[in-house]
Amino acid sequence: MTGSAAAIGIAEGEIGAVVADLEISRAWLVDPATRREGPGEIVVSDGVLEAVTWLDADEVSGIDERGVVVAPGFVDLHAHFREPGNEDAETIETGLAAAGHGGFTTVCLMPNTTPPLDDPTVLARIRAAALASGSPVRALAFGAVTAGRNGEALAALGELADAGVVGFSDDGAGVPSASLVRNALAYAGALGLPLVDHAEDAAQTAGAEANDGYVATVLGLRGWPAAAEETAVARDLAVLAEVVRDVPAARLHLTHLSTAGALDLVRRAKAAGLPVTCDVTPHHLALSDEWLAGARRWAWDADANPWADREATIVAAPYASSLRVNPPLRSPADAAACREALLDGTADAIATDHAPHAAVDKDVEFGLAANGISGLETALGLVLAVVDAGLLPLTRAIEALTAGPARVLGTGWGDRPSPGLVEGAPADLVVFDRAESWTVTPDALASRGKNSPLLGRELAGRVLLTVAAGRLAFEAGS
Amino acid sequence: MTVIDRADTAIEVPIVDSPPDEQPVAWNHRHLLDVDVLSWADIELVMHTTDAMREVLARPIAKVPALRGRNVTILFYEASTRTRVSFEVAAKNLSADVVNIAAATSSVTKGESLIDTVRTVEALGAQMLVIRHPASGAPYLAAETFGGSVLNGGDGWHAHPTQALLDLYTLRSRFAGGSLTGRKIVILGDVLHSRVARSNLWTLTAAGADVWLCGPATLLRGFEAWAIRGAAAGVRFHVTTSIAEALRGADAVMALRIQKERMAAGLLPSLREYAARYGLTRERLALARPEAFVMHPGPMNEGVEIAPDVAAGSQSLIEEQVRNGVAVRMALLYLLAGVRPR
Repeated sequence: MTGSAAAIGIAEGEIGAVVADLEISRAWLVDPATRREGPGEIVVSDGVLEAVTWLDADEVSGIDERGVVVAPGFVDLHAHFREPGNEDAETIETGLAAAGHGGFTTVCLMPNTTPPLDDPTVLARIRAAALASGSPVRALAFGAVTAGRNGEALAALGELADAGVVGFSDDGAGVPSASLVRNALAYAGALGLPLVDHAEDAAQTAGAEANDGYVATVLGLRGWPAAAEETAVARDLAVLAEVVRDVPAARLHLTHLSTAGALDLVRRAKAAGLPVTCDVTPHHLALSDEWLAGARRWAWDADANPWADREATIVAAPYASSLRVNPPLRSPADAAACREALLDGTADAIATDHAPHAAVDKDVEFGLAANGISGLETALGLVLAVVDAGLLPLTRAIEALTAGPARVLGTGWGDRPSPGLVEGAPADLVVFDRAESWTVTPDALASRGKNSPLLGRELAGRVLLTVAAGRLAFEAGS
Repeated sequence: MTVIDRADTAIEVPIVDSPPDEQPVAWNHRHLLDVDVLSWADIELVMHTTDAMREVLARPIAKVPALRGRNVTILFYEASTRTRVSFEVAAKNLSADVVNIAAATSSVTKGESLIDTVRTVEALGAQMLVIRHPASGAPYLAAETFGGSVLNGGDGWHAHPTQALLDLYTLRSRFAGGSLTGRKIVILGDVLHSRVARSNLWTLTAAGADVWLCGPATLLRGFEAWAIRGAAAGVRFHVTTSIAEALRGADAVMALRIQKERMAAGLLPSLREYAARYGLTRERLALARPEAFVMHPGPMNEGVEIAPDVAAGSQSLIEEQVRNGVAVRMALLYLLAGVRPR
C-alpha cells in the first residue's frame, strides 16, 4: 500500500450482490469520459456511483497515480470462455470470475466454441450460463462470420444481430478469402456491426510455431512470418476501401495485431479516413519472442542478443509451451511498434485474447501445444509494467482498456454511457493498488486456464475491487 | 555462447574403467539437451573422455563395467538406425542395461503424451533417457519430468548434440595439432531443416573454425540473420548460395541429407536440379584444398547431395564418423552418469 493509504470501505458482500455502501477516499481517480485524472473520492450507494469528488492536487499530499487507482471497469474485446464444448478449459462462470479478478466488467466472447456461435441458440445458452453464474460482469458475444466457422458461406448474420451479438468474427482463423471479407463487411455494416478479423494468411502459417526470425531460426522452430499478418491486413483494408463506397456504415476491426508492418498499414488507412479500428494484446506489448529461448526480460529491455550474455539473460528453460500463442510473440521491435500504436492512437484498444486451455493441451511438445495465453487476470499487470517503464501514460492505458474498446463496439455497446466515472450512473469500476504486487500462481488465477507464461512472476498492480453494474464482481481477499 | 576461456585449465580425464560417480571430474550438466550450454572446458572434457573410450574400443573385449546396473532407455519417436544403434552399442560397451522403445509419433489426440511416456519409462527403471523426437525442444519437456539424465538424440530442426561432438572429435583427430582454428569448414545443403547444422554451428565456431553454410536460398532461410546477430554471441559464420565460393580452399565439407518432402513444400524444383547445382561431386571437391575432408551425418542419398565416389573416396571420413560416434556417446553417457540425480 502507499505511504498514506487510501481508505477503502469494502462492501463485504457476496459476488453479484448490490454494492450497498462503499466509500473510497484518498485515491487517484482516472476518468476517460472527461479525460480527467487526479486525487479524489468516490461514494457508491445502493449500486449507484453517488459521488465523485475531485480534490485539489495542491491541497492534498501523498496521493499520486502510483498508489490506489479508481477507474471505470475494463472492457475486453477479445476473450474465449470455451463454453459450450470445452468446459475443461473454461466455463462462462470461471471466465467471468477471471474477468472480475482482472478488473474487467465487460467481456466480448469469441464464437469459436463447440458448436460455434453461428446460431442464436448458442448465444441464449451463453446468456443463461452468465446469468446462472451470479457474476455481474457483462458477457457480450461476437457471432461467427461463416456458418460453422468453416470459412465458406456467411452465417445467419441478421438473425445473430437480432439476437444481440456485438459483431462478427471467425477468430481463431482469418476470413479466408477477399470475397468473403467483402460480403461480410457489407452485410455486417448494414446491420451496424463490425467485422472483427483475425488477420492471418493461413497459406503462410501452415505448421508455423514461432515468429519467423532470429530466435526461431536458432531454436529450429518453424517460422511464422510477419507477412502472413500484413498481407491479410492489406487485403482487408483494400476491400474495406471499396465496400465503404456502397456501405458507408461498414466497419473493420483488426484484432490482436502484432507486427510493426500491420500497424503501419492501419495507421495509413486511418489517415486516409477508412473506418478501421484495431487492438493489441498485453502480451504483445510486454513480451517478445526471446522468451521462447528462456529469456524473461520485458520486451523494452531486450536490446541485445539473448545468447550473448546467456547467464544473465537466459533464466528459464527454452520452449515453454505457455508461450505458444497466435499470433506468436514477435520481435522486441514489433512489441515497441505495438506500444507506439497505442500512444499515437493507431491502436484503439488493449484486448486480452484470453485463451484458456486445459493442461493436457498445453503440457506437450511446443509444436503440438494449443495456441493461447490465459490473459484476463494478468492484463493489468502487463499493461502497468509498460506504464511503470515510462512507455505509456496511465491515462492512455486506462483509456485503451475502457473507452477505447467501448468505441469500437459502437452500437454493440448499446445505450450504456461510455466508460467513465459518472455520478448517478450504476457503479462500474475497478480499484487497484499499483504499489501492491502479487505473484501469478495457478491458485491465484480464477480462470481454469492456468496457461500463463507469467506463472511464478510478480506483477505490480493488485486489483482490490471490481464493481459491475452496481454489483460486486470481485473483491480482494474474498 | 559465453566467451570461451581457453586458458589451459588442466582437464582431468576420467579413468573410464571405474564407475563415473567415483571420479573427481568437473562435469556438472545433468542433461545433454543442446551444445549451446557447453563451455569450452566441457567440450575439451568430452573430447578427452572420448580418447579414453577409443582406447577401450581398441581392446580385445571392448567393454568396461562403468555403468553396470544402470538402465539406459532409448526412446525414439523418429526412424533411425545409425544413431539408435550407436547409442545402444555405446551403452552396452559400458555394461549398462539397455531398453529400446520405438514410439509412434506423439500426438495430443492419439495415445499417450510425451510426459506420460517419460513417467512410465522412469517407473520401469530408466535412469538415463536418450530421446529423439520430431518436435524441436521435446527433450526439454522430457527433462522437466524425468528424474535422471536426458540425452538429446536429435530434436526436430533444433539440435543433435552427439552428432556435433562426434563431428568435432573426428575433425580434431585429423587436423594437425588437433586444432580447428581458422580451418574453413563448409556445411552444405538443407541447412534450414538440419539439427546437425545448427549444433555444428555452435561447436565448430566455438572451436575457432571458419564456418560456411551453403545451399539453395530457400534452405538457408533465416541463417543470414543469425550470421549477423550471432556474432555478438560468439557464433561467427558465413552464408552463401554459391557452392564455388563455399568450397574454394575448404578444409572440410559436410554434406547434409536432402529429403524428398522439400520438393512438395515448394522449396526446391527437383532433386535433379539440386544434384546438378549443389551435389558434392569430385569436380566440385577439387575446388577445396587437396587434402580436404568429406563428411556426412547419414543417411546419405548418394547421387543427390553426394556422389558415390566422393562418399567412398580417400578423403571421406564418413565411416570414421560412425566409429567415433560410439566413442563420443560412451563418453557422454559416462560423464552424465557421474552427476548425481536429484
